[in-house]
Amino acid sequence: MSCLEAKKPSMCHSEPLTTEKVRATLAVLKGVLTSCYGPFGRLKQLHNGVGGSVCTTSQSSVLLRNLSVTHPILKILTTSVQSHVSCFSDCGLFAAILCCNLIENVQKADLTAATTIKLNKHLLDLCTSYLRSEVCGCRIPADFSSTHILLCLVRSILTSKPACMLSRKEVDHISALVLRAFLLTIPENTEDPIILGKSVIVPLKGQRVTESTVLPGLLIEMSEVQSMRLSPLRKSSALKVALFSTSLSGDFSDSGEGSVVVSYGVSLENAVLDQLIHLGRQLVSDHVGLVLCQKVMHPSLKQFLSTHHIIAVDRVGVTLMEPLSRVTGAQPIGSLGSVSPSSYGSVKDWCSAKFGRKHFFHLIPNEATVCSLLLCNRNDTAWDELKLTCQTALHVLQLTIKEPWVLLGGGCTETHLAAYIRHMIHKEPGSILQDDGCTQAELHLIAEAFCSALESLAGSLEHDGGEILTDMKHGHFWSVQAGPPSVVNWPDLFSRCGCGVYSSQEELSWSVLRSTRLPFAPQTHLPHEALEISQQSACSLTVDCLTAKLSGLQVAVETANLILDLVYVIEDKN
Amino acid sequence: MVMACRDKRRHVGLQQLSSFAEAGRTFLGPVKSSKFIIDEECHESVLISSTVRLLESLDMTSAVGQLLNEAVQAQNDTYRTGATTLLFLAGVWSRAVEECLHLGVPISIIVSVMSEGLNSCSEEVVSLQVPVHDIFDHMDSTEAISGLETVSVSLCPFLQDPSDASSIQERHDLKDVAAQLTTYSLSGRPVKSPKFFKPQAKVEAGENTSQTLKNSLHTDTCFRKSVLIHSRHFNRTDNNQGLRKPRRFLEQCGATTFLTYGCHDLVELAVGLSHGDGSSMKLVEEAVRLQYQNACMQPGNCVVPFVFDISRLFTFCLPGLPETFSCVCPGYITVVSVSSAALIQELQSRPIRVVLIEGDLTESYRHLGFSKSTNIKTALDSMKLPEDSSEELWANHVLQLLTQFSVNLVLVEGNASEHLTEQCRHSRRLVVGSVNGRVIQAFAEATGAVQVAYITQVNEDCVGSGVSVTFWRNPLDVVDSSDRMAILLKTEGINLITAVLTSPVSAQMQTKEDRFWTCAYRVYHAVKEAKVFLGGSAVEFLCLSHLHILAEQPLQKGDHACLGWLHDTSSWLASSLAIYRPTVLKCLANGWHKYLSALLYNTATYSSELEASTFIQHHLQNAIDCGSPSSYVLKEYRKLNSGIFNSGISNKLEQTPIYDVVTPKIEAWRRALDLVLLVLQTDSEIITGLGRAQINSQKLEGFLFL
Repeated sequence: MSCLEAKKPSMCHSEPLTTEKVRATLAVLKGVLTSCYGPFGRLKQLHNGVGGSVCTTSQSSVLLRNLSVTHPILKILTTSVQSHVSCFSDCGLFAAILCCNLIENVQKADLTAATTIKLNKHLLDLCTSYLRSEVCGCRIPADFSSTHILLCLVRSILTSKPACMLSRKEVDHISALVLRAFLLTIPENTEDPIILGKSVIVPLKGQRVTESTVLPGLLIEMSEVQSMRLSPLRKSSALKVALFSTSLSGDFSDSGEGSVVVSYGVSLENAVLDQLIHLGRQLVSDHVGLVLCQKVMHPSLKQFLSTHHIIAVDRVGVTLMEPLSRVTGAQPIGSLGSVSPSSYGSVKDWCSAKFGRKHFFHLIPNEATVCSLLLCNRNDTAWDELKLTCQTALHVLQLTIKEPWVLLGGGCTETHLAAYIRHMIHKEPGSILQDDGCTQAELHLIAEAFCSALESLAGSLEHDGGEILTDMKHGHFWSVQAGPPSVVNWPDLFSRCGCGVYSSQEELSWSVLRSTRLPFAPQTHLPHEALEISQQSACSLTVDCLTAKLSGLQVAVETANLILDLVYVIEDKN
Repeated sequence: MVMACRDKRRHVGLQQLSSFAEAGRTFLGPVKSSKFIIDEECHESVLISSTVRLLESLDMTSAVGQLLNEAVQAQNDTYRTGATTLLFLAGVWSRAVEECLHLGVPISIIVSVMSEGLNSCSEEVVSLQVPVHDIFDHMDSTEAISGLETVSVSLCPFLQDPSDASSIQERHDLKDVAAQLTTYSLSGRPVKSPKFFKPQAKVEAGENTSQTLKNSLHTDTCFRKSVLIHSRHFNRTDNNQGLRKPRRFLEQCGATTFLTYGCHDLVELAVGLSHGDGSSMKLVEEAVRLQYQNACMQPGNCVVPFVFDISRLFTFCLPGLPETFSCVCPGYITVVSVSSAALIQELQSRPIRVVLIEGDLTESYRHLGFSKSTNIKTALDSMKLPEDSSEELWANHVLQLLTQFSVNLVLVEGNASEHLTEQCRHSRRLVVGSVNGRVIQAFAEATGAVQVAYITQVNEDCVGSGVSVTFWRNPLDVVDSSDRMAILLKTEGINLITAVLTSPVSAQMQTKEDRFWTCAYRVYHAVKEAKVFLGGSAVEFLCLSHLHILAEQPLQKGDHACLGWLHDTSSWLASSLAIYRPTVLKCLANGWHKYLSALLYNTATYSSELEASTFIQHHLQNAIDCGSPSSYVLKEYRKLNSGIFNSGISNKLEQTPIYDVVTPKIEAWRRALDLVLLVLQTDSEIITGLGRAQINSQKLEGFLFL
């Protein structure tokens, strides 16, 4: 007897954003993300509450991956930020917090969704065109002929992730390594198109951070016994390489469904082993010197190869296959049949190396753009965070080579941008409105919401109860202790602005960021002198990746628009 | 998803951390009190006396507990020492951080100043590093206890069994020694040579000393003496005239000589690093000596500088035997069934040939990564059934191979088939299973054998030769409860040393093994790094006084080098650093203060921690007044006998300095502080995978839901 149950009707909620519960959850999410933001951000311990591993982090990618949000509105937000992070690595928290701020602020304006969305889009266009324009006052060309700006970029990323637990010296060390690893992936010949190589991060947990290093070529981890066997096989000349992606372990796991019946006395294992040895003979006759296998090699095959002075390294792992193929020029071989000579590659040299307690087979390529970043940190939590941070930094450097500009960091871009928008709205509202049917009053309301969303994002960098000021000339970000004495010489209270370009000794006037002030025209065209001064000083600049930040801005505004546009949430209860 | 938020005033994580750390307090210092951990449900209990074992036995499911466990494990895996320091400092520093929070210091400033302070300490203590070099130069192979393959160590660790030693009366005739020492110092070589100590320094045991003690004291005067004076009982014999003379000389000499001349002698290094555990260190020292001798005997090897290879050192535990059986031997010691006694008897007269197997020695074994197909069936062509089972056929095949290559010994890394082992025994071949991979490697190097995964791979090139098998001691002595006996396998020039650890109390076996490895790793790190710290809390005291001086110094603008990363930023925190810095540095220093007083208190020199604390305060004031704490430490290091630097474990007779390992120690500090700061910066816990329904309603307070 079958039992049929009537389908439950779908639930339909209208105006989801207006409900108190949604607002409260959104506020919780915003609180979590905001408290993580910036170099002084607070960390979060992620765990399952029943003794699973604990992860301490402040990075959006890890947080959003682990937050199991239930409400569809929050899902939209987290998913779009996650997809931004998967493409650009950086500025995930920036996008998520800005999006939350925007939703919160424009709701107060109480305009129709259509108007809000339209105006938001205009403002976004205004921002992107300004940030991409020559007159932009908050971006610096990334000069690839010196390391200064690039190091600042890497360092800014490293210091913004406090869970890496790096000291000042360690930040310097790792920044230099990351930059070196990146430079090693740039090919020497500058033919178009330039194809960047790959930096493989090799884990070495438990060691000191300063023991991290970068090596050209690839490191393949192997057992101590394996490395001991290699030592007598010292040959320092170029080797022909065969790279196997198939298992050479001698099993026959792919026999499919059903059963295979063999007659007594026939050994399938021996048959496969014969085939392997046959393959080995071919490798010997082809004068192959090094056999690499992604999976396991049969010990008898290894023994056969080593008696013919061929080095055999197995269990290379799938992640190394692509870089190995690139480094050696070998095509991965996927079958036990005869090997086409064209699939062989070559290496310049090899050696065995020991770092910490791990033994490695170090493959030195002829000329290739692959390097290994051997990354150490004291414990698992900090190592995971550092690895992710280094990956972000490497990715950001790649993005910067495509679009060689960096934005001023430390909150300065946000405050500057807000000042610029306010100024433009004040000066020429008509050019923004065009003929959309929105009134100037509506524009002013939404622009105010947009600007204060940017400014409170910048304000989120402060976690210890300080006050944020902005100067009335450049529109930069200045941080000061809360409740400063009333009669005070402002320039003495702080030394530099958030990004480090301007010093307080210039003739500037300040105003508290949260207060209302008259719109002013922030100085466009970052003066050369300012950069030169800051380059000379010991302080390093805080800069952000232009591409990632622009995308973050776009994702934030568009996601906010999407969420504001939601009228109904229909839930299938079955 | 549920999220727990923390109260800002009361940092739960820090409180958890300090209460966890309290549990390991008694493990600090050379005198450790053991703990029983009892499982209430199944009434099992374990005796532990180290932090690592303590954390292993505790059930710490909270997030902070797990982070603590992770940090201690990471320290232990990397260095095998420093776990207790880590635990204790994590505890005192989390209390220090809590104090800062109460005083209203912003979190970011605590983080920055504390890491800056510790960095500065790590740089400061470099001045107390003692170079370790040429320690093997004094170790002529003739001088070392030659001919004795096993060195017996009979002395019970005093710290565990003080009743034995309390009756010993010492008489030291050191007149000549003192005289000659002076001559040495005049001739410009102030560092005493321990070689020189050997013939003169005699320790005579009193009449009422137990027989074992007497014997051991006579067999190994030089070291035994150092062991004895590590005892607190010995320290009380202050009325001994002979003791005073060398001390006076050493005062003149000054401690700076260590730093210039360094530590040149293995014995001195070992004694200095033993930290009160002389019996374990004696074994380690012997192991290093044996390895060195072995390395020297290798053709052409003496040119290469000798490196202590700890991966070729193994322990073999024999519970139930008296301590006298503890020893170090070249070769590999393992247990085999008593039924093999006759076989061993027969094999021990001649060198035998060996095969080394990497995996299991069973018919069904396949190498790692081989996946067996389950859907293959064998069909019989005729009605004739095979006579033997496949196991039987395989065993016969193996035996045939062994006979063909005249192999009498098979060392197997994994399990060995019992049936085959039995059959081999009948044909006078020994199969030993569960052999460590590095042991196999050592035999491969020494005998020329090649490890194979399957016995079918064996050919003439794979077989090694020249292995000798003997009983370890008299077979009847060492038969354990499960009818197994210890045998010794070795071969000419094998780079493999086994330390046999015995203890009449089997509950102490684990502790003994742990202690042995701690000592071994201390020596290993010291030799590898070629430097040690002046020990006996000298470095910690220097940190304490250095931080106090640092706190008094005004911050200088532009003095970036010694400051934390915070100074680099443009945040207001950087400009208000100067206000909070002294407070935070003093809190950090308080951690050291507590560490030192706990250490002094644990060594039983002081009846209360307060008394110990006052004593430290006194010296701290002196050091600060003196202006340069490091020169104060160096000056006082030799002078203070019952004092801070060598209390409890001091060596009054010879003033052998106490040493400490460098990197593991500094790393332990850093890990402890990192852990505290990580917990400090965490403001909420995010618990994944739990719904609202799974949380008790009364616990809902403090949780936020997404």
